[in-house]
Amino acid sequence: MDTATQRKWDAASRNFDVFSYGDDLRLGPHKQRLFAKMRGETLMLAAGTGNDFRFFPPGLSIIAIDISAKMLERATKKAAVYQGRIDLRQMDACQLEFLDNTFDTILTVCTFCSVPKPVVALRELYRVLKPSGQILMFEHVRSRIGPVGVFLDLMTPLSRRLGPDLNRDTVGNVQKAGFRIRREENVYLDIIKAIEGIKDPVLSP
Amino acid sequence: MIFTIGDYLAGMLVGAVTALSVRMVVWPGMDMVIAMIVGMALGMLVHLILGLGLGPLIGMFEAMIPASLIGMYGGMFFGMRDSMAAGSRTLPAAIAVGAIFGALVIAGVHFYDRALRGAVVDTGE
Repeated sequence: MDTATQRKWDAASRNFDVFSYGDDLRLGPHKQRLFAKMRGETLMLAAGTGNDFRFFPPGLSIIAIDISAKMLERATKKAAVYQGRIDLRQMDACQLEFLDNTFDTILTVCTFCSVPKPVVALRELYRVLKPSGQILMFEHVRSRIGPVGVFLDLMTPLSRRLGPDLNRDTVGNVQKAGFRIRREENVYLDIIKAIEGIKDPVLSP
Repeated sequence: MIFTIGDYLAGMLVGAVTALSVRMVVWPGMDMVIAMIVGMALGMLVHLILGLGLGPLIGMFEAMIPASLIGMYGGMFFGMRDSMAAGSRTLPAAIAVGAIFGALVIAGVHFYDRALRGAVVDTGE
């Protein structure tokens, strides 16, 4: 377990709901539209305090993991009111305790701005996803708009101390890990994106 | 709609506070390059403080991105104006120009957001 990351997010859990209040209201409909595509056995990476559970379609069986025990503590009540099953577990995204080809859907929400080794974690997700399974991601990334991208680069050393990096190339990282991009949608400028990837089945020769 | 109004109010506030801060520090006749650098630094500081405060209300990125543009470019612009003693003669006039600048940046960001929004890749699967 990456204890430095764990400590950072344990500390962030105290004010997490306050800082994400506006985002949850504003981006909720966009998340709901993406989450409607969840199907089958689902893994949610970085559940946080469980603010996104309310946007899940009902009736699913979901395992939601987070590296921070404090985040999961706060997520417990929100998981309990979900009309389906949410199983909360503490786990490091880079060392998933699941067998290969376990899940039909993997969901990440503002996760790959924070995972210290994004490609390693994405390869782990690729491993536990079934062939033809899907990864649904709601992430913020570095902008390709000149001054905005530079601003995000400049702010990252500061933001990293409190929480996320602001200049990740998450779409590129998803592809590096082996996924094929099915859909990529800009939600706010070219910074907040809904990304859908597929683990294509390996064809035997 | 409520968020759009919030965006404009937030942008006008950041612009107004940036213009006010620059007016407090930059004096007519000050070296213009120094005035612009000081203005930019002040604007960045203002945007950080106000952006963090406004983020929980209107969304972090929706608050911080326009605020950074208003702070950075507005700070330089106001610094240049004030060092030349050009434009606004009174403090309320300077604050009003700041608020208008903030609103214009928000309009630009909204326009750009509309242009960029939507599918970039869609395989139709």
